Amino acid sequence: MNRNNFLIHVALAIVLILIAAFAGQLNRWRKEWKSKVHIMPSAEKKRASTAEEISLAEGRTFGRPEVLVKFKPGVSLETIDELTSRFHDRVEDRIENAPGWDSIDDLDNGDVTEVVAQYLALPEVEYAEPNMEIRLDAVDAPPLVPVRPADPRFEDQWALANSGQRGGKEGADISAMRAWATTTGSDKVVVAVLDSGVDYTHEDLAPNIWVRPASLAPYHDNELGTIEDVNGFNAIENESDPMDDNGHGTHCAGIIGAEGSNDIGISGVNWKVKIMPLKFMNAGGYGTTKDAIEAINYVIDRKKAGVNVRIISASWGSTQRSRALEDVIRKAYDNDILFVAAAGNASTNNDRSPHYPSSYNVPNVISVAALDRHDQLASFSNYGVKSVAIAAPGVDILSTWLGNEYEEKSGTSMATPVVSGVAALIVAEQPRISVDELREKVLASVDPLPALKAKIATGGRVNAAKALE
Amino acid sequence: MALNKEDAVKKARKDLAQRLKIDDNSIKEQSVDDSDFPDMSLGAAEDGEMSGQMITRGWRIRLNANNQSYEYRADKNQVRLYRFKGKNYRV
Repeated sequence: MNRNNFLIHVALAIVLILIAAFAGQLNRWRKEWKSKVHIMPSAEKKRASTAEEISLAEGRTFGRPEVLVKFKPGVSLETIDELTSRFHDRVEDRIENAPGWDSIDDLDNGDVTEVVAQYLALPEVEYAEPNMEIRLDAVDAPPLVPVRPADPRFEDQWALANSGQRGGKEGADISAMRAWATTTGSDKVVVAVLDSGVDYTHEDLAPNIWVRPASLAPYHDNELGTIEDVNGFNAIENESDPMDDNGHGTHCAGIIGAEGSNDIGISGVNWKVKIMPLKFMNAGGYGTTKDAIEAINYVIDRKKAGVNVRIISASWGSTQRSRALEDVIRKAYDNDILFVAAAGNASTNNDRSPHYPSSYNVPNVISVAALDRHDQLASFSNYGVKSVAIAAPGVDILSTWLGNEYEEKSGTSMATPVVSGVAALIVAEQPRISVDELREKVLASVDPLPALKAKIATGGRVNAAKALE
Repeated sequence: MALNKEDAVKKARKDLAQRLKIDDNSIKEQSVDDSDFPDMSLGAAEDGEMSGQMITRGWRIRLNANNQSYEYRADKNQVRLYRFKGKNYRV
């Protein structure tokens, strides 16, 4: 290396060191500034604007320490200026409507209590106190009041509110009433119930059934042609009518979104939502993988066309793996659609004997186990610490049935729509949430249960209220 | 049309006789019990079949022919042969 090159390298090194030092100092200044400024979260700001919600947070100041000082009558302004200068302070403000009171700014950034003590020691001072920050004290925020729906059979819905009815464990529920203090759902959120169809004429469901908007073109598939879909799709007959002739799909739909507080029957996890009925299982309650795929394709098509379908609820499965089914569920993920699936009812470990579609390792899949009214894993429920994500009530679940009826049914089929319903509540509250965030939020909501420890991944029961926090 | 227990047993006997190519009268009824099955294919899904994961009330029908035991599962909607030569069949 010649002398010139050497000098250039030395100069470059010095410049780099100076830049790094300056950047470090900038960072320190930034931290210092941040430590002095209280940035109120937006929610807090919103509440703090309500006068009756404001309380004094004792002893906390913001920015440079300030004290409010009341000088004795007759103390001149010159004397006040001389005293404040002595302490290296300055008069920040003379309070017009409180004669004798001055706001003193401590230029040394000293401890506020010491500054107060300094002034209190002066014979010219009548009183001194910290200038307290006024902000909402979270502890004093009014608690959310649980909301009870006006539905005659709500008392039988232990999954939503377990008061110990029929010998159950009080509190072994999804905290629905607390969740409803935040939101009861939204008719802007569409949940696809991929099942035996839905009895869309059921009086407790009809107002919450999705209807294709007039502005949206009918469903078109290159192989199937154009289908004038009104409420959903029947993949068995490749036609528009998804009427349920079994009852299973109607039961699942009611758990997600039987209209709440309508003085009829039960309440869904969502009082308001839009259910998109899809039929791929027949009157016996079984169907083919191919028809399930056709129905999921329909959902994806409608999503792409602008329908806000965010969740597919899949209360079905088998032990047979299908690559084609896995691929179409992945396609749903690519379109921001959550896929909630039943873990299965064989009392087996899905880590060892997988159950599909719940065991597909696709990022939008949530596999759901079932709990009884005592917060115990249902005797029939599959489990798996790696492959089953969450648990929800799934034994003796009352919901809608064919012909304006209601029935109690058990299975991971019943636990699955509970989780789908909670996901729909989250979307109602956070319409722009991504599928990854939605899945994470559902899983993070759980109440840990001893019975689920080392049995399922989260070790807990879904909690609707926590999911909305 | 919804099946009852007697219909289901009759259907199972007829199916077994046809499969084994034997006379219906040579089939013995071992037991017919009420049972809860794990899903809507009665825990006897055929290949490529998906079923609702709801506990389903039905009947477990055990038949005997040629000193062999055969299990049928039925509910009001269907009759199934369980693990016949390693496979399930919807009857």
